[in-house]
Amino acid sequence: MATLNPGPRVVKQAIHWLLKLRESGNSPLLQHQCEQWRAAHQDHELAWQRVQSLHQELNLRAVPGANVALQTLESGTQRLQRRQALKLLGGVVMLGSAAWLGKDVDALSNWTSDYASATGERRRFDLPDGSVLQLNTDSAADLAFDARQRLIRLKRGEMMLTCANDAASAVGRPLLVQTRHALLEGFDGRFVVRQDETCTQISVSQGNVAFHAPGALQWVTAGQSLRVDAQGASLLQQPEMDASAWTEGLVVTRDMRLRAFLAEVGRYRHGFVSCSDEIADLRLSGVFRLEDTDQLLQLLPQTLPVNVSYRTRWWVRLERQA
Amino acid sequence: MPSPESVHSLYSHHHSWLNAWLRSKLGNAADAADLAQDTFVRLLQRREQYELNTPRAFLRTIARGLVIDHWRREELHRAYLEALAHLPEAEVPSVETRELLMELLERIARMLDGLKPKVRRAFLLAQCEGLTHKDIAEQMGISLRSVERYVADALYHCYLLRYESQE
Repeated sequence: MATLNPGPRVVKQAIHWLLKLRESGNSPLLQHQCEQWRAAHQDHELAWQRVQSLHQELNLRAVPGANVALQTLESGTQRLQRRQALKLLGGVVMLGSAAWLGKDVDALSNWTSDYASATGERRRFDLPDGSVLQLNTDSAADLAFDARQRLIRLKRGEMMLTCANDAASAVGRPLLVQTRHALLEGFDGRFVVRQDETCTQISVSQGNVAFHAPGALQWVTAGQSLRVDAQGASLLQQPEMDASAWTEGLVVTRDMRLRAFLAEVGRYRHGFVSCSDEIADLRLSGVFRLEDTDQLLQLLPQTLPVNVSYRTRWWVRLERQA
Repeated sequence: MPSPESVHSLYSHHHSWLNAWLRSKLGNAADAADLAQDTFVRLLQRREQYELNTPRAFLRTIARGLVIDHWRREELHRAYLEALAHLPEAEVPSVETRELLMELLERIARMLDGLKPKVRRAFLLAQCEGLTHKDIAEQMGISLRSVERYVADALYHCYLLRYESQE
């Protein structure tokens, strides 16, 4: 005989009780109320038993060696989605899992880019014209070189371009970098382009870069940094970070707010780095090595009145020293 | 239930085609042969009648599900090895524990398939890391109410798969 399934409302109630109990640390009062609810109807009890056993089954904390489960599941799933998207969607609608659709767009754009780097990774590429493209952590760029131009589209993250003068081509094609906010032209020099959601920042180490604004051209010369967003472009007077230090594996700060610094360090690691509001405005100047950001964070209490604690392996929290 | 005869006829007509299709997806003859066999085993196990007008489309649908399972296993395995590589040697679990854990992770990954990334993440933070809803809200930068809803939604999703799915 088929068992009758408890209705959706009852199942959701059972889930509600379970989560409430867990969050309350099994308060005796709630426990008592939950028992009453369970006893009120056999469907309640059945739903409760099932939800309880499902929850046990999915409890990864009880399993030895499961401390890497979160990371494994998250990155395994991301990669599976990319792979599905690439190999199975040859014009075919997929059954069951439409999970990738529109959800992991950034990861997808990374995957389909000509050049890309993972979180924490820095990569260097020799381009066909002799230019050198370096990508900072979690970045992606596409190349569109043709007879007329050499175009690099920075899709996300940060890059350094060391320009070559296109000796192989008779016409000397312009070398262009495009971001969401700006179109740039590089000449014989070296510059960093960094793009986030709201703005693009250009910092020139050597030579000159032309910023093609609508109807105008603005030059950025060695030592200057230009910030471009939806409102327009402005030169940065006192950048709080050395823009190209990452190419040497360093973060170099001048009087940088702690919260901004942690956001910067967070770009290079998986997980989450945060600090309490009361220490967010502490200032930091120095040279920090990027190769081991855990170690970098551990060094902070030597110069600032802060404590570093690991809530989990992937979640670091800084608070004022007691 | 499909008759064994009809499966047999499908097999003799389309097995080599399916094998080739799988090989093009997997790039590996041994895996392709395995999954082609699995596809027909699945067919034999199915309860409902199936549409035979387009046998290849039908076979491909089943095979595609198996390919995804296969890839999921591979990607999880890779991600797991990468995660282990970052652990101090003393913390790396034994081979037996690793296999058990892989099985569990695969089952969970399959269950969570199709959840929205935020729902999934909130749920995993609770289940893997044992964070409270308040901590999850802070870490994800969303409201406590959303976290509660996400975690409950994820559990309900798993419940349906576990107790009310047709297969």
